[in-house]
Amino acid sequence: MTLGLLSQYVFNGLMLGMIYAMVAVGFTLFFGVLDVIKFSHGDVLMVGAFTGLATYLGLQALGVDSPLVQLLVMTVVAALAMGLLGALIAKYLVLPLRLAPPLNTLLITLMLGSVLREAVRLFYPQGSNPKPFPRLLPADFVSFGAFTLRADSMILLLAGLAAIVAVHLLITRTKLGLAIRAVAQDAETARIMGINFEFIVLLTFAIGSGMAALGGLMNGLYYNEINFGMGLLLGVIGFSAAVIGGLGNIYGAILGGFLFSALQSIGAVALPALFPGTSTAYKDVFAFAVVIIFMAWRPTGLIAEKKSERV
Amino acid sequence: MSATLLSVENVYAGYDKADVLQDVSLAVAAGSITCILGSNGSGKSTLIRAILGLTKPRRGRVLFDGADLVGMPTHRIVGTGIACIPEGRKVFPKLSVLENLQLGAYQEGDQGKIARRIEQVFGIFPRLAERSAQLAGTMSGGEQAMLSIGRGMMGEPKLLLIDEPSLGLSPRLVKENFAVIRRINELGITVLLVEQNVHQTLAIAHHGYVLSQGRVVASGTARELAENAEVRAAYFG
Ligand SMILES: Nc1ncnc2c1ncn2[C@@H]1O[C@H](COP(=O)(O)OP(=O)(O)O)[C@@H](O)[C@H]1O
Ligand SMILES: [Mg+2]
Repeated sequence: MTLGLLSQYVFNGLMLGMIYAMVAVGFTLFFGVLDVIKFSHGDVLMVGAFTGLATYLGLQALGVDSPLVQLLVMTVVAALAMGLLGALIAKYLVLPLRLAPPLNTLLITLMLGSVLREAVRLFYPQGSNPKPFPRLLPADFVSFGAFTLRADSMILLLAGLAAIVAVHLLITRTKLGLAIRAVAQDAETARIMGINFEFIVLLTFAIGSGMAALGGLMNGLYYNEINFGMGLLLGVIGFSAAVIGGLGNIYGAILGGFLFSALQSIGAVALPALFPGTSTAYKDVFAFAVVIIFMAWRPTGLIAEKKSERV
Repeated sequence: MSATLLSVENVYAGYDKADVLQDVSLAVAAGSITCILGSNGSGKSTLIRAILGLTKPRRGRVLFDGADLVGMPTHRIVGTGIACIPEGRKVFPKLSVLENLQLGAYQEGDQGKIARRIEQVFGIFPRLAERSAQLAGTMSGGEQAMLSIGRGMMGEPKLLLIDEPSLGLSPRLVKENFAVIRRINELGITVLLVEQNVHQTLAIAHHGYVLSQGRVVASGTARELAENAEVRAAYFG
């Protein structure tokens, strides 16, 4: 393999890892505050990406053609809209089911995911076809011999990093973050402290869902295509990443995201090398197989957390 | 010391179907230490939960400073000036001592006031000052008890509910904690103290109630309760 190809794999792996980490952080936040798995998370990411696309088309129709402005407005609209959607899901689906068996929440959010998917497929114009996503980032690149650095990829990586760092700072440095951590550790005692439990839960769902929207936009900007089913695999991978990292632990979720994409890259490179004739398409099979073996070996994930030690 | 700060009127509350508290009425005079005595399972914690809105009373009223707390969400009830040192201390194990204290003043927006109260708590419990950056879960039971008490003071409440502070502590620590509770009361904070430890409780309380199977079966001044032979025989052994 050439150095150029290798650098491409590394870059692609980092990009995917960042997106997975952004999805996984949502899963881990929701589980942290409410002990629930919200299975519609991947589809919220997809709706976020479509919201961004629709916003772009709207801006174009209005004659706004500066890519920077388009990008900023798309990001803000998609993140806010998905934040709102996340809060609504928490208020009307997840919180009312808090005292029911956890399986019900899982089932309801699983169904909600299908509803979101089908809604986009049916109601977005030609929603069942893949949609081209605009190239809004500068396409410049610098080459160091065989090694190429693309500006758009760098910007996406940095933006993803900034989003994750921002969430991290919010959780660890602000009063709201302190309240989120308190609710995650002991919801009842948090209420005794005077924390508005419901507000914190809605806020957490909004943050996680806003992150998913950003992940969806990153995905669209990177591959320049989105489709109504994109959230399915991303949701499963994000969930796996969160579980690998030890559900409820933010650092674990980020680590899990990058680990999963590393596994995919290894699968894509190593499998064809070891077994000539195998396609790189087996990379997901490889990655999931390793995750399954890993889970059998360490059921509590990389960073084992006791029930009382979340977030 | 005559005005009533908290009055519980004919409260019924419980979990699932059966009522744990049945027709419970009591009054806490402003400035006092009022105690609730009762054996394990008599409904003391349920009473505290009912006041805080964690277990909603099915019937009855809880009047605090003239307002009925029944039906209010817990964070609003706390906002009226009630704090609680819960049974089993319930410090946040993965948060530092300082963060635990900050949470006690969650509804206070004035950073200066919070800083002054932290200094006040550190003055009472110098041990907490030494360990301010330590995670609460890594501290000893006695230190967690100090933290839980300090956290309860951080909101500078009008009324402090304390649920079995002596639970699981050595006699020496129990004594120290009761001395601190008295000090807190002398700072002007009204205390509702729930306990099984009769002697030490009556030694610092002004007034008390005895709860048995969810009903108030005796009440009076601390001295009256201490001298009540029936009460002693029935509940204190
Ligand atoms: N969460 C709960 N769910 C169901 N029953 C409970 C719960 N908590 C307490 N009880 C029951 O309520 C009664 C009173 O309990 P509690 O108020 O904790 O008593 P105390 O604090 O005086 O020991 C007991 O019979 C107990 O089993
Ligand atoms: Mg109790």
